[in-house]
Order: sequence, then structure tokens, then C-alpha cells
Amino acid sequence: MPNLGNTPLIDELKSNQIRDFLEQGKRIDGRAFDEPRSISIEIGVIPKAEGSARVRLGNTEVITGIKVQPDRPFPDLGDKGIFICTAEILPLAHPTAEPGPPQEDVIELARVVDRGIRESGMIDLSKLVLVKDKSVIGIFADNSVIDHDGNLFDACAYSSTAAILSTKIPKWEMQDDVPVKIEDQESDAPITTIPVSVTMGRIGKHIIVDPNMDEWLCLDARITITTNSDGNICALQKGGKDGFTLDQLTKCGETSTSVGAKIREIIKQTKETGQ
Amino acid sequence: MDNAKRKYVIPGDVITTAPFRPEQNVILDGKKIIATVVGTSEIYDDSVRVIPLAGKYSPKVNDLIIGKVVSHSSLSWELDINSCYVGFLPAQDVFGRDFSAHADELTSKLKKGDLVVARIANSDRSRDPLLTVSDRELGKIESGELVKISPSKVPRLIGKRGTMIQTIEMATNAIITIGQNGWIVVSCENRNGLLKAIKAIRMVDKQAHIANLTDRVKLMLESSGE
Repeated sequence: MPNLGNTPLIDELKSNQIRDFLEQGKRIDGRAFDEPRSISIEIGVIPKAEGSARVRLGNTEVITGIKVQPDRPFPDLGDKGIFICTAEILPLAHPTAEPGPPQEDVIELARVVDRGIRESGMIDLSKLVLVKDKSVIGIFADNSVIDHDGNLFDACAYSSTAAILSTKIPKWEMQDDVPVKIEDQESDAPITTIPVSVTMGRIGKHIIVDPNMDEWLCLDARITITTNSDGNICALQKGGKDGFTLDQLTKCGETSTSVGAKIREIIKQTKETGQ
Repeated sequence: MDNAKRKYVIPGDVITTAPFRPEQNVILDGKKIIATVVGTSEIYDDSVRVIPLAGKYSPKVNDLIIGKVVSHSSLSWELDINSCYVGFLPAQDVFGRDFSAHADELTSKLKKGDLVVARIANSDRSRDPLLTVSDRELGKIESGELVKISPSKVPRLIGKRGTMIQTIEMATNAIITIGQNGWIVVSCENRNGLLKAIKAIRMVDKQAHIANLTDRVKLMLESSGE
């Protein structure tokens, strides 16, 4: 491939078409403004991982694997376990995705997903301590984007959340200051809440939920809001060159709660039926 | 195409051992003519070639193509032409002979994301293909919808002496500009006609390897009504 830059570029005709449709109250793929694409979640897709999930959000597809292992705690958080979330866009996900060190957008992706789960307090990290200040259990969630059709934030967030819900944590015991794994004993992860992120974009004066790739490339501004099971906002990230008015922000907050509640049910059902 | 013997081949298949002239996507190994791509082989009176089922566009001089502006320097634009090469459109071509890199701003004529109908002015494999828009009906595309198909299906979309494309245009009243690189711009006053024309183009892309395609497309165009 020639070097056509590492950011995808939408052609002017399509961009105008998307804007024209929005003026008529329609979206390019026929969805309502506050309607996310169809979501399908499978768990247990990686048998050797402690937890895993595959999420399809429209044509966007993400696989998450969870690794659980003992580790040293952070120096200032000796009484808490470790949670780290990473993300990677595989070269097969999109023509513009290349191997190599992560680009700015991928770093942002990992941080937004990490923050949503961390700040909601989804995992009770204080239950993951083996010896205070010495040894704790770490949970590592690695997201791999298989197919990129816009809104990776939500796809990765749902995938990580579903994978954590499916995670079995092995039992470790301290023997001579070294954690030793006890075979055939495992427990569910200490879950307190289910965070759901909802990403909204603004094109002109219109706010749309879960933009697909074409819409994503036309966005003036975007905002990702994560809510917990009580419907309270626990994390937020704004991106794009332009901004939101106060009214628009208030509306985004309300939308994130209402749309988030529906998506939370989908994630919950996946866990219960174990699909 | 009717007098051609066609069959499906994969790389390594021996198409024939007869003394024919090897053309595209075949190699001559001793007396054997061997396919190098997945596609359909065609044997004409004295030549053999393989039409690939898929593949990128390889630029040929005088081809009409559609490109997307991806960047520019002070002297030229770079266009994505759905190829392994970047299309190179010099500023003189748009501004004329008296173009000055100091006085003229390239973005005033073409900016990132604009679609352009162009012709390949010069192309050899050692350099990026040179494009030109200085001819009638070449230049920036102002309206319509972009449809992308495989460049290997373009001959099928045009059809024998343009029959296929005429059929589609007549039935839908759409104006269709076909780039040899597989990018096609369709414009039509009537929304229904536009959707139908796009459907027909996608159908050709998907079913190019099946016989009686023109009849199938005709049938589809007639059946879905106005």
C-alpha cells in the first residue's frame, strides 16, 4: 500500500450526504439518532484465558482476553490489586492500521476504556490483596480490534466489561513469601457494578449515538460518557476539534444513562446465559 | 467473449499446452501455459489470458480513473487511486502554465477528500503514475455517490461494447462514470433510480463470474419496478 497517511479520510460526496440526511432527521444507515448498532456478545471465546469476550457492534469487532496473575502492588496503593487495560488495532482491522508502536488514537482508546472500568469501581480491587504492600493479584484486560468500523471506545468497553464478568480468578496462597497457585480452586471476580460507556458525536447541531466509520470521520466533536449500574456518571472523555454547548452536554448525559441502561441489560444477559 | 473457452483456474493450473500467445496473468513454462492468479481463463483464437476474480488496480496510460485527494505539496496533489501507487496530479494541470507556487493556493481548487475524474497521462512502474484533468469532462466531481467495486470487474460492468452500462443507465436514468480503478460515481435526479443503479452495479461486482449476467441485471432492473 502507498503511504496514504495513517488516518482514514472520507470523500467529500459521502460527507455531504451524511450531513444532508441529518438535516432531514435521518442517518445514513437508517438508525434513529439515539440508536446504537446491533450488539452481540460472546464470552469464553479464548479457552486458555481466565476470561474473554468477543463483541460485535455493527461491523466493528473486538476480542478481549483477561490475564490474572500475582504481581507487586503500586507503591502508593499497597492495599489494592492491580487492574490494567490495553488496546491494540490489528493491521487486519482496517487498511490504515499499521503494526508498530501505538498511535495517539490507540493510546486514547486504551485510556478511555481503562478509566471507565477503573473509575466506576467495577472490580473491588481491595479483595485482590495477598499480602499488603508485598503481593496482590493483577487483572490485565487486553483488547484486540479485529474489525474497525467506527466507535472503538464502546466496542472495547463492552468487550472488556463482558470479559471481566466472565473471569474466574484462581486461588493463590503465600508460601515462603512467594504466591503459589492452588489448583482447581477459583472464584468469580469481585464485581460491584457494571459500567457502560456510550459514545456520542456531534455533526453540526445534531447529536448521534454510536457513530459508524463514515459518521465518525465527519464528527465535529465527540464525547464518551460511562455510567455505572445506578445510572451515575463515573467517567467522561471529550474529543474532536470542536465543542458542545451546555444544553447539548446535558442531553448527552441523559442519553448516556438511558441508552446505557439498555446495553447493560444485554451485557447482563450474556453473563447469565453464558452464550 | 462468446467464442472464448472459459474455465475457473487457480495459480499453477495448466490452461493449455497448445501454441497460443500468453497474455495477462499467465506464464509460459516450456509448452505449458500456466495461470498465476485465481480467476477465469479465456482462450481466444490465438491467445490465452486469465481474468482475475480479485485484485488491485494497475495503472495503464490513458485509463479513465476516479481518485480521492489525500494530500498535497506546494506543487502537486496526491490521489488515492485504489492502487499500489499514489496518483500524482501536478498543479500546472489545474492552474495552467502560469502556475506559481507562491501565488496559488492548491487547496483553493482541490482539497482533501475531494473526488476527481482523471486520466492516466504517464505511467511506468518505476514512478508514481502521472494524472491529468485537462480534458473535457475531467476534473472535480461535484455530486453523486461513490461506489467501489473490484477493478477486475470493471470490464464486466461496461460489457461488450458498453451494453451492460447502457442497460443500467437506460433503465434508471442515472449518469454513471466508471473509473478503470473500480471506483464509480453514480448520479441521478431520482432517488429510486440511484438506488437501483447502485444495486445493479453491486450485482455485477458480486456475480461477474456467472454466465448470462446482462439478462439477470435486466431482470432485476425490470422486476423491482419504478
